Amino acid sequence: MTMTIIVITLIAFILGIDDVSTKMFRRPLLIAPIIGFILGDVQAGLAIGATLEIMWMGIGNVGAYMAPDLITGTIISTSLAIMSTNGSIETAVATAITLAIPTSILAQQLLVLIQTINVSLNSWAKRLADNADVKGTFWLIYPPALLTGAARAVPTFIALYFGAGAIQSAVDALPTFVINGLETAGSIIPAVGIALLMLAMLKKFELWMFLILGFVFSSYLGLDILPMTLIAIVFAYFYEMITRKTAAGANGANESSKNTGEEEYDL
Amino acid sequence: MEQKLTKRDLWKLFMRLNTMRITLNYETLQGVGFMRAIAPVLEKTYTDKEELSDAMRRHTQFYNSHVNGDAVILAVTAAMEESTGPDEKEGINSLKTGLMGPLAGLGDSLIKFTWVPIIGSIGASLAFSGSIIGPILMFILYNIVNIGLRYYAIVYGYKKGIGFLNDNQESNLIQRISTMANVVGLMVVGALISTIIKVQTPLEISTGSSVTGEVGENVIAIQEMLDQIMPSVLSLAVTITVYHVLKKTKGSHAAMIIVIMMLLTIALTYFGIL
Repeated sequence: MTMTIIVITLIAFILGIDDVSTKMFRRPLLIAPIIGFILGDVQAGLAIGATLEIMWMGIGNVGAYMAPDLITGTIISTSLAIMSTNGSIETAVATAITLAIPTSILAQQLLVLIQTINVSLNSWAKRLADNADVKGTFWLIYPPALLTGAARAVPTFIALYFGAGAIQSAVDALPTFVINGLETAGSIIPAVGIALLMLAMLKKFELWMFLILGFVFSSYLGLDILPMTLIAIVFAYFYEMITRKTAAGANGANESSKNTGEEEYDL
Repeated sequence: MEQKLTKRDLWKLFMRLNTMRITLNYETLQGVGFMRAIAPVLEKTYTDKEELSDAMRRHTQFYNSHVNGDAVILAVTAAMEESTGPDEKEGINSLKTGLMGPLAGLGDSLIKFTWVPIIGSIGASLAFSGSIIGPILMFILYNIVNIGLRYYAIVYGYKKGIGFLNDNQESNLIQRISTMANVVGLMVVGALISTIIKVQTPLEISTGSSVTGEVGENVIAIQEMLDQIMPSVLSLAVTITVYHVLKKTKGSHAAMIIVIMMLLTIALTYFGIL
């Protein structure tokens, strides 16, 4: 078991750095199956990954706002859920949802701390600039990369090494109605992610119409996401064309009204 | 104007773009990363040490955008550093600050709010049925756009150089793509409300005959009734409610809302309402 924990810790380190550099694995659905594979339960990994993916759908860093840390949250919650529930995928998913929230939020605080420590890089960068030292700039990323990796790896190791037993007894002690409730919650909580997306996207009142369209296409007509997206592209194209034309038309109308005004004046 | 950077230099710029965010910090955000990424280009452009030093200092200033926006801005900056005279250098910084906002908005609406939800929901629905194809497909689709667009933006941005800015002002390209991405994203979000959120009630109303006194002769399942009026109406109601709560709190208490919803769901399932 210790060996497995070390492997997961290493993965946390690598994915931690990936999150701020190549950004190839930064979604729960891409991380959880890997953890499931290592712990020998790919099916549970898939189910947890899919649930967390949807739950955190609208969550992401926007501007300087730091979102809950999905990387650490997914790794710790998936590992602990699979380690402490014996085979039942439903219980594993319910456990993972419950653990994902506190772990993501706690891990987020560490990232805030790192961005604060990283402020010291500015004076290093200025020194390099003063000396016109281009070769030296190569090393700028290594201390913060180690720090970011460690910020994911250390909490993962601590949580898995010391937490597994505690979580197992907690899951065993939970009454069934709580587990059932958490399973149901897993399919309702995605509303938060979707509402967050809406918050970012509904900039004008008229845009609500597209939300209604999408809802109707899917709920009444039962269209899948892919055909839905293709139809959406058609609507988007014409909406963009119309808004551009009306904007141009409004300008044109102003000019022509000016012209008629002048003509009347001439008469 | 002749362009000096070779394919190899652009590849180097791409590699340094990939590690740009590691130095993210609260003082200049990506200022350090930007300077690090552009430094090899500057070295090639400026032979004079004093000029090189000035240029490097100029690029340590505050900077932040979306990762694909970074690619365009880095490439356009590289082209501009080559083509501008010594007294036009201030224009480069105003170009950076002018582009970083719109491009960040474009990157967010195109990738974060449109592409990731689309591939995430496709991947998740495959994964729910137990298929490993789900995450693999998501990984491929995500990174074709994620990595591919970044590299393309470097090459295209450098080739266009300052022309990118002129083209954009003429056709308003960033704004137009943003608007379209926004519409696609919203329609997908509308569809996701009914496919992903599952709120169902087992509640039943039994209309027993008052004459015989028997209870439960005609049982009406409330969920069935709701489905006939509007499928997923409860999902829509929950989403709109959460949206309004989030709007009131300016989106800052998402985690708190999730915890409250969990507790509420446990309570409601206990009493047999959900």
